Amino acid sequence: MAQTSIAKRLDETLVELEPKRPGFSGGEPPPVSPQTPIGNNVWLAILVFLGAEAMFFAGLMGAYIVFRVGAAVWPPPFQPRLPVGVTGVNTVFLLASAATIRVALRGARRGDGTQLVRWLGLTALLGAIFLAVQGYEWIELIQFGLTVSSSVYGGLFYTLIGFHALHVFGALVWLMVVFALARRGHYSKDRYLGVQTCAMYWTFVVALWPALYGLVYLY
Amino acid sequence: MLKRNTLLTSLLAGLAAGLVPALASACSVCVTGDNDPTSNAFNWSVLFLMATPYAVVGSIAGWLFFKYRRAAAKRDQDHATESPLHLAWSEKESGR
Repeated sequence: MAQTSIAKRLDETLVELEPKRPGFSGGEPPPVSPQTPIGNNVWLAILVFLGAEAMFFAGLMGAYIVFRVGAAVWPPPFQPRLPVGVTGVNTVFLLASAATIRVALRGARRGDGTQLVRWLGLTALLGAIFLAVQGYEWIELIQFGLTVSSSVYGGLFYTLIGFHALHVFGALVWLMVVFALARRGHYSKDRYLGVQTCAMYWTFVVALWPALYGLVYLY
Repeated sequence: MLKRNTLLTSLLAGLAAGLVPALASACSVCVTGDNDPTSNAFNWSVLFLMATPYAVVGSIAGWLFFKYRRAAAKRDQDHATESPLHLAWSEKESGR
C-alpha cells in the first residue's frame, strides 16, 4: 500500500513539474504540451486589427504627403491657417488619456474596482474634451471657408483628421461601455480582457494623433 | 513556327523600346524633371508607404516577442521557486 502511494505521488509530481511553454490561450486546448498563455486570442485579433488600421491611416498619410510635398505654396492661397496652438494643448489632453487608461488597467489587474472606475472615467472625460475642442475648431474653420470641397487642402484635412476623430469617437463609445460594466463590478482580477482590449485600441488612437498632428498641423 | 515569330517580334520590340526610352516610360511621374516637386512628392510618399508595413509588422512581432520572453521568464521563475518539499512523502501518506 505504501509503495502504491509512493508511485502515485511520484506520478503526480512528474506531471506538475513538466515545464509549460508560453503560447496563446482560447479555443480548444492543445492535445499535447500544455502552454502558459502569453495573450488571449481576442487580444491577438485586436493587435492584427490595429495593424490593419495603421495601414489604412498610412494610405491617407501617403496621399497627404503627395499633395503637401508637391505643392509650391502650402496652405494654398486664400485658405485659413490651422489652429496649431489650441490643437497642441488638445494633444496634451489626449496624450494624458493614454496615461490614465494605463492606470485604470493596472487597477483592473490588481482587482481594484474603485481605481478602475475612477481612471476610466477620467480617460473618457479627457477623450470627450479632445473631441469637443476638435468639433469647435471645425466649426471655426468652416466659418472661415475651409470645407471639404473648398480645395485639396480642405479635403485632405477633413479626411485625415475626420477619420481620426471618428476613431476617437468609436473608442470613446467602447470606453463608455467598459466604464458602465466596470461600475457594475463586471471585471475582476482574473477577468479584465474587456478593459485590456479597450486600452489597446485607445492607446493606438492616441499614439496615432502626434503623427497626424505633426504632418497636418506642423509640417 | 508561330511561337518563334512571336518571341522574335517581342524581343525586337523590347530592344527597340530600350533604344527609345521616352516611348518605353511606363512611370507616370518619370516624364518630369529630376528636381520636379511632383516626382519628389511621389517619391517621398512611396518611401513612406514602403516603410510602413515593415514598421507595423515589426512592431507587432516585437511586441509578441517581448510578451513571449516575459512569459518565459515568469515561467522559469515560478518553476525555480517551486518548493521541492512535495517530492517527499509524509509519514502519514506512507502508511507507516
